[in-house]
Amino acid sequence: MTMIIQLSVVGILPVIISLFLYLIDKKTKFSKLNYVTKQIIYGLVFGGLAILGTEFGVDLQGASANARDASVLIAGLLFGAPAGIISGLIGGIERYFATAWGAGEYTQLACTISTIVAGFTGAILRKYMFDDKKPSCLYALAIGLITEVFHMLMIFFTNMNDIDVAFSFVQKCAAPMICVNGLSVLLAVFVIELVGEKKRIGSKQKQITTEFTKWLLMTVLFSFIVISSFTIVLQVNIAEKDIDQLLSQGITDVKLDVTSVSDEDMLSVTHQIANAYEKASDIEELETQYNVSEINIVDEKGIITASTDERYLSFDMSEGEQSAEFLVLLNDKTEYVSELKPMTFDPAVYRKYAGVALKDGGFIQVGYSTTRIQQDIGSTISKVIRNRHIGKTGFVLVINEDYQLMTMDNGEEFNITDMPDISSLQKGERFTATVNGEESFLMAEETEGYYILSILPETEAFFSRNIAIYVTIFMEILAFVGMFILVYFMAKIIVIDNIMKINKSLSIITSGNLDETVDVRSNEEFASLSDDINYTVSTLKNYIAEATNRINKALEFSRNIQHSAMPTVFPPYPNRDDFAIYAQMNTAKEVGGDFYDFYLLGRNHLVFLIADVSGKGIPAAMFMMRAKTLIKSYAETGIDVNEIVQMANEKLCEDNDAEMFVTAWIAKINLQTGIMSYANAGHNPPLIKTADHSYTYLHSKPGFVLGGMGGVHYQKNELVLSKGDTVFLYTDGVTEAMNQAKELYGETRLEQVLSTCQDKEVEEVCASVKKDVDLFSDGAPQADDITMLCLQYKGVGEMKEFIRKADIATIPEATQFVEQQLLEVGLQKNIVQQFDIAIDEIVSNICHYAYPENDGKYVLQLLINHSRKRIQLTFIDYGSPFNPLEVKDPDVTAKAEDRDAGGLGIFMVKKLMDTVEYHYDQANILTIEKGYE
Amino acid sequence: MNIRTENNNDELTMFIEGRLDTTTAPSLEAEISQNIEGIKTLILDFESLEYISSAGLRVLLSAQKKMNKQGKLLIRNVNEDVRSVLDMTGFTSILTIE
Repeated sequence: MTMIIQLSVVGILPVIISLFLYLIDKKTKFSKLNYVTKQIIYGLVFGGLAILGTEFGVDLQGASANARDASVLIAGLLFGAPAGIISGLIGGIERYFATAWGAGEYTQLACTISTIVAGFTGAILRKYMFDDKKPSCLYALAIGLITEVFHMLMIFFTNMNDIDVAFSFVQKCAAPMICVNGLSVLLAVFVIELVGEKKRIGSKQKQITTEFTKWLLMTVLFSFIVISSFTIVLQVNIAEKDIDQLLSQGITDVKLDVTSVSDEDMLSVTHQIANAYEKASDIEELETQYNVSEINIVDEKGIITASTDERYLSFDMSEGEQSAEFLVLLNDKTEYVSELKPMTFDPAVYRKYAGVALKDGGFIQVGYSTTRIQQDIGSTISKVIRNRHIGKTGFVLVINEDYQLMTMDNGEEFNITDMPDISSLQKGERFTATVNGEESFLMAEETEGYYILSILPETEAFFSRNIAIYVTIFMEILAFVGMFILVYFMAKIIVIDNIMKINKSLSIITSGNLDETVDVRSNEEFASLSDDINYTVSTLKNYIAEATNRINKALEFSRNIQHSAMPTVFPPYPNRDDFAIYAQMNTAKEVGGDFYDFYLLGRNHLVFLIADVSGKGIPAAMFMMRAKTLIKSYAETGIDVNEIVQMANEKLCEDNDAEMFVTAWIAKINLQTGIMSYANAGHNPPLIKTADHSYTYLHSKPGFVLGGMGGVHYQKNELVLSKGDTVFLYTDGVTEAMNQAKELYGETRLEQVLSTCQDKEVEEVCASVKKDVDLFSDGAPQADDITMLCLQYKGVGEMKEFIRKADIATIPEATQFVEQQLLEVGLQKNIVQQFDIAIDEIVSNICHYAYPENDGKYVLQLLINHSRKRIQLTFIDYGSPFNPLEVKDPDVTAKAEDRDAGGLGIFMVKKLMDTVEYHYDQANILTIEKGYE
Repeated sequence: MNIRTENNNDELTMFIEGRLDTTTAPSLEAEISQNIEGIKTLILDFESLEYISSAGLRVLLSAQKKMNKQGKLLIRNVNEDVRSVLDMTGFTSILTIE
């Protein structure tokens, strides 16, 4: 438990340090240091951390576990390739010399090499595999684990001549080291990923490689598992065979020794008996004297002539299988020993026979029982087995049939537990038992009434198997990782890099540059793909050119709609000098929805407006047409400006599926009085110039845009224009014109340029503003329509007004009133009389028809325009609306009898005057005009 | 407007002076109807007529219609301005202008 806590601390420290460094880089001025300085600092910090790892490792029964490699890897993977290399060198070199003050000498070279290699691994992987970005957690873990595997393998390789110790080191520290370093790197990446923005391998490349690496990884893992399993099975089998061989070899050797001792002993006893017998001793006595089980005397023919056992008398030795073996004594052999075997006569009884040739021919055969043999050899057997070794630590023991251990002559004591029933085992069958408290493999064989046990502790038995498995699997891991990386890079170079090249070209193409060509020719497939793409793009280019042409035509068409809808001939009213108006529109490349419009209502009212439709292109042009037509049709009914926009708004809101809207500023000016009423539907405020002031913004409460929402009310504003006052309308194309630096033209600059236009004519005012906007934008493309309208009120001559009750008796007074004025001007009498007739006709009409109740009045307004030499007379009555101009002209060719005097009066007026106009604006307004010389 | 009348048997001459318009036409009409009884020739002398409006024309038309039944109507000394009005209104074609 303590060890786990210590290991956690060791593993967590690099994680905390890397988080700390990361935050410092993100939050403080540290980030402003240059790259080299930063890399050196990172390298030093993690190098220091690696040294800390060396000096304060966790003790694992003699081996030391630390996170030195993790520190170095983190530096390389997370903080940059140079940092990784620097810290690797620091950590590695320090480790090399650290033996001088206590670090383990045994792993000195392995640790040094693997630390330096870890630094380079982190650096190279970051640079070439992760495109100088952080790896993902999974890769981090894998890299940490594999680096430690390499470390472990290095311990083997640097200690090939002392593999046992190397193995014990690896066995102790492999698992903790691999876990601690792997998890440490993983945690460092994970923590930084948590606090920082995700800046891993680019998403596009990731998508392409992820699938590939997934399958590559699976294939490699699968191969690794198969080969590793095979290795394990093979090594286990080899190990088992080796164990069996070791054990049985030991038994065979001991058995040979025991048998030869016993054979020698038995023969020597038999020789003594033979000598005694030849001195004519009685075999019965000899049997007792020598404590043997049986004595047989066999003659030259192989027949038992004398025996201590009467049953054997006259037995022909050649008849029994065992006995026949002794017939060799009748030939050239002088002694023979048989094995201890069950007797043919009585299988329950074991006998070992020894025979010696007699001087007089024939031989003597002595049978020994098991007890007799053991009695003789028991003391020497421990000497025989004492020096027998099985492997390095294994040994041989002997037990008797009662499983009693033979006492060793040197007093060594053995203790076997968990012993199975040996007699039931097959010959050469291996079994396990605990010998002196150690799990061991055993094999047993019976000889001379003993069981010989060869014993091999499991630790030794499996040592070579384990070491083989460790080394092989570690090597395989490295080999497969190498293979994975190799295939990964091959695929990257051959396929993915080329795909990226093509992608790059394609993204240039899709961003609009159709002149880009793809040229990847590293192999035939990519060359063919490049050609196909190039061909497709060139085809596409042609299609686009055609489509562009069509679109341009459509744009031209909508631009034409826009332009043709607006008055473009200036001056629009050449014979009017009571006002001057000029407008211009410069359309942007893409058609916008700006428009202006103006028209006279009767002689005395001028409506003018400017508007801007949201959006661009054909829909904007269509919406603009609709708005313009609606406004005009409502304006022509003579209603107030606020009502015009209100009603236009209602109409525009209907079926406005495109959700477009239009801002507008509209004014109606009474040219006689100079009274201008205006309404604003969300448009930019115009500027007004008066005699006293330069152009200033005419702010009014703007209403909501048209087409946005129904039920909106608009405010009507009024002001009186004096002679020379000028109003300048514009759209946001002027104030929002941009220069190369993306700055806006602005209202202040507009006001400034207009201040230089105090005495300019309307056309010049527009031209000056346009010129200034062009100067400002300095070649930057025009984004929106630039539209302006300028109106100057010039006023009319002084108007005289005459108001009377609608009674024909007032006609002479009216004519006299006009005559007097006209004569003053110096008009010829006949012209004056024509006016007299007109007054007579029109007033008498009013008196007769306008007021049935005879209670109304009429107004006569006389306006003499000296400069244009024109007389204008306006008749106003407040009776029910009646347009005299709609009365049918009389037939001037009929006979007197067929004639009717009706309609003659107005007919004469029309004939006598230059123009006669009627409109109704809360009153019947009839205006007649005539020029004079 | 002033009207001076010269009666010579069945010939009546009316000298009209001033303006023959809405306000004055009714008095000419009254003058004619008072004196037209038994008149074969009605002569309207326009020498001093300043101008004539539709109300005057209406009187001329009704006088013409009446005289068509009992004799004739002659218009005499029509000045240029008045003639242009008569031309304009097609009255020259129904009136006998000397």
